[in-house]
Amino acid sequence: MTASEVSYNRKIISEDLSNVEFDTSEDVEVIPTFDSMGLRDELLRGIYTYGFEKPSAIQQRSILPIVKGRDVIAQAQSGTGKTATFSISILQSLDTTLRETQVLILSPTRELATQIQKVILALGDFMNVQCHACIGGTNLGEDIRKLDYGQHVVSGTPGRVFDMIRRRVLRTRSIKMLVLDEADEMLNKGFKEQIYDVYRYLPPATQVVLISATLPHEILEMTSKFMTDPIRILVKRDELTLEGIKQFFVAVEREEWKFDTLCDLYDTLTITQAVIFCNTKRKVDWLTQKMQEANFTVSSMHGDMPQKERDNIMKEFRSGQSRVLITTDVWARGIDVQQVSLVINYDLPNNRELYIHRIGRSGRFGRKGVAINFVKSDDIRILRDIEQYYSTQIDEMPMNVADLI
Amino acid sequence: MNDSGPKKILFNKSTLFSLKAELLRKQEEVNEKRQQPQHKLENFKPPSAKDKKSLDQDAKKEYKKTFKDSLKAVDTEELEACRKAKLALEKKAELYEHLADGAGNSQLASRFLVDFNTKKQQEPEKQPEEPIQLENESNVSEDDGGEWTEFTDCLGRTRKCHKSDIAMFLKRDMDLMRAINKDKGTSNEEPEAKPEEPPPVEKEKPLLVQTTNDYLQSLRDKWEQKEKELLAKDKDIHYQDLLFDEARIHGVGYFSFSTDEAERQKQMEELLKQRQETLKAQKEAEQVRKKRDEMIAARVAAARARQRARAGLPPEEPKENQKDFTTCLLEFLTQQKNEADAKAKEKENKLKEEQEKERQRLREAYVREWDIGKDGVEGKVKKFREMSQEEYVEQQRDKRIKEFAPPQASTSGNSSIFDDKGNKVGSKETTATATKTWDDVRPRVSTPPPPEIGELTDFTQNKGLYFSSSKKNDGTSASNNFKYRNFVKAQEPTPIVDELEDTDAVVEDTRREKRKHDSEGVEVPPPPTFEYYGPTIKQTKFAKPFESDIREAYSQGAKSLETKSSGRQLPKHYDFTFD
Repeated sequence: MTASEVSYNRKIISEDLSNVEFDTSEDVEVIPTFDSMGLRDELLRGIYTYGFEKPSAIQQRSILPIVKGRDVIAQAQSGTGKTATFSISILQSLDTTLRETQVLILSPTRELATQIQKVILALGDFMNVQCHACIGGTNLGEDIRKLDYGQHVVSGTPGRVFDMIRRRVLRTRSIKMLVLDEADEMLNKGFKEQIYDVYRYLPPATQVVLISATLPHEILEMTSKFMTDPIRILVKRDELTLEGIKQFFVAVEREEWKFDTLCDLYDTLTITQAVIFCNTKRKVDWLTQKMQEANFTVSSMHGDMPQKERDNIMKEFRSGQSRVLITTDVWARGIDVQQVSLVINYDLPNNRELYIHRIGRSGRFGRKGVAINFVKSDDIRILRDIEQYYSTQIDEMPMNVADLI
Repeated sequence: MNDSGPKKILFNKSTLFSLKAELLRKQEEVNEKRQQPQHKLENFKPPSAKDKKSLDQDAKKEYKKTFKDSLKAVDTEELEACRKAKLALEKKAELYEHLADGAGNSQLASRFLVDFNTKKQQEPEKQPEEPIQLENESNVSEDDGGEWTEFTDCLGRTRKCHKSDIAMFLKRDMDLMRAINKDKGTSNEEPEAKPEEPPPVEKEKPLLVQTTNDYLQSLRDKWEQKEKELLAKDKDIHYQDLLFDEARIHGVGYFSFSTDEAERQKQMEELLKQRQETLKAQKEAEQVRKKRDEMIAARVAAARARQRARAGLPPEEPKENQKDFTTCLLEFLTQQKNEADAKAKEKENKLKEEQEKERQRLREAYVREWDIGKDGVEGKVKKFREMSQEEYVEQQRDKRIKEFAPPQASTSGNSSIFDDKGNKVGSKETTATATKTWDDVRPRVSTPPPPEIGELTDFTQNKGLYFSSSKKNDGTSASNNFKYRNFVKAQEPTPIVDELEDTDAVVEDTRREKRKHDSEGVEVPPPPTFEYYGPTIKQTKFAKPFESDIREAYSQGAKSLETKSSGRQLPKHYDFTFD
């Protein structure tokens, strides 16, 4: 590779795209049923037993292009079956007789990677598919053993996956697809380097699939670096919030009053399940302690906890044993617990994308949901900005909020 | 029970016995329940102090319900009522404690039905189940007196008590400690539950530990166990292995397979078998349904026929013949339309396919920035790197079959500019011809000045001009050569054959042939009738083929109508009106 050649390629890629508007590709076919997608019988059975009956909008559009081998950028509202979309596509294009890693899925959190593994196994329950969650905080030896056993699909977090690739435990020669879930997060500054590192080990021109509820312009701009003529299925930002998730705010004058408000709301929280978001780990600890001192049963989770504890909290919350979870943005993206119907932003999120993801923890796959934002007087401006940006409506919380859950 | 207190209650003996029996049953029940882990005393917290926290999981549901109800009307009145109830409960608890302590000595005791005296007597029997193992927790030091003993409680206080009571005090101390821990949520409960393997990480950094009751703890233990099994499992992992009691709603057809591989296999086979049976049954049912429908249809037809016969009407024609003209026409038209649509679609598809192919080619050619430097990419990059104009021309030249190259001589002429520098720089004239295709050139080819016949040498030379790249043949003009530059097929000698055989190259073939034929005898014009009338009679017959056909068809149709004698069939009128 000579310098001039590199510069040539650069020249093409570094075109200024900031003024280009990205739209959904024109030739996207809509397929109204799972039956007419030409999927394998065993996979269809898995889809139906998992609970899907009719494909959602994103599933109707994205599954086929991915199965065909095209690079796809897919965007859809939270809780509309994005994980299932790429999971179904992956399972359809797998060769289960080949006991090597054929698909690599990367996601930003360990919990999400584990969840994806579970979905893959559930949908592929009749196909004898093997999927491994390759995540940090677990025993390295076990990881190596599992990978050596032969896994069709690996769902993991970038750090551990890269480690495994470098140790040559995770062989990449048969990988034909790379999926980046929560793609905008994965291509953000914090993760991009790691994604690049992993990508460098994949065969050239590997099929790449990007999935997220939010895909900011700057992310779409850079996709040509690792994707080839991708099919885009996008959602306009004024259609990004779901009708089913009602959004409210509670105005508080002082920070301390948030706690009292939360206590007042506790009974509403426990109607089904609720997630309370704080902006820092320390605040999560503080709030949890305070709630427990006031004799409220809550559990909490954040990135500084040992993985074992995180796992336990997740299992308890998933099984419905704990009903109120205080957490950080580690929980903001992708985690799917059907029974969560209430999200409280104890602190407003640091960016607009996170807002969409946080409130999207409720109202899963067509269910109802409520999001309540605690705002101090100077936060109202931020909230209004969010409201305007997504063309949505955030009203003051009514007294009968419990009826909406 | 003999000591029934100061109250006098009227009763007969049978009620007493049944009461006694009931009491024993209840006591038994309570004892039984006490053995269960979630009902152990450690889990119990007085409701007055921490009503919310102490709720058991199953009790929670009811609790929530009441709260949901209460939420609907959050007026002050109800809150007040709630507060009052709470106060009353607190008072009651206080009173109960007092009575239990006082054990009947109190004046109050006489007012209640519960016999606290016997209750207190029964209590110590059940107490000494645990305290022996607890002794190592707090340092117990025996005093010299032997009857009194000293121990340190969880708050660090040294306390003295009677030896017989130590068990009870230790237990209380234990409970207190638990209560404190739970309240503050600062101490670590996990090591307590399984002290054989305390997680070192948690010890290093005292974390906020979630409140867990025994039920949750048992669940956690169960999950832990499962996880261990999972890690030990050297076989495939399935969805059920990872479910961990998740509360998820699945589809209707969901079946929870066994986590045991062999068992799972069996279940899977059974499922498959049942599925096939279902499919078979579905097929059979479908067939039965079809048969039944047919039978019903036949019966209906028969009934109608009978009815017609009874009314003196002729039997109905079978369905196929009943189609009238309009339906036929409609069918025909729709069929035509469908065909046309299909054709158009096919064309469109073909076009799309071609476009897609082209795009696919481009995609394959594309090199991602992040791929640069990987194995196998290098060649691709080279293959599709930008070429300079000269390089491109050179490449095209290499590809060219030599026979089609312009003769060397032309390089000396003005077209040499074209050859050296490509299309871009060529003179106007040359660029014009260069862009021309074979189609543009062909008409001129058909009318070149014919060479002299008889000079065979000339001909061979000419041939050489066209079909060899030999550089000796320089005598021809450049322009003539140029016309054949885009000649694709070398084996197209037809014009040359014509040149040789016929002097008049412009004349059409058929005429020429005719003339050839005529030239043998005297030229006699053909009789006018033959050319103009003879064939035209026939031709007119063919030119209007429908007139007679329609007439014929019409007469036939009319005849058949007459024979059918069915003027009643309305649609047949169309035949008349149409004509």
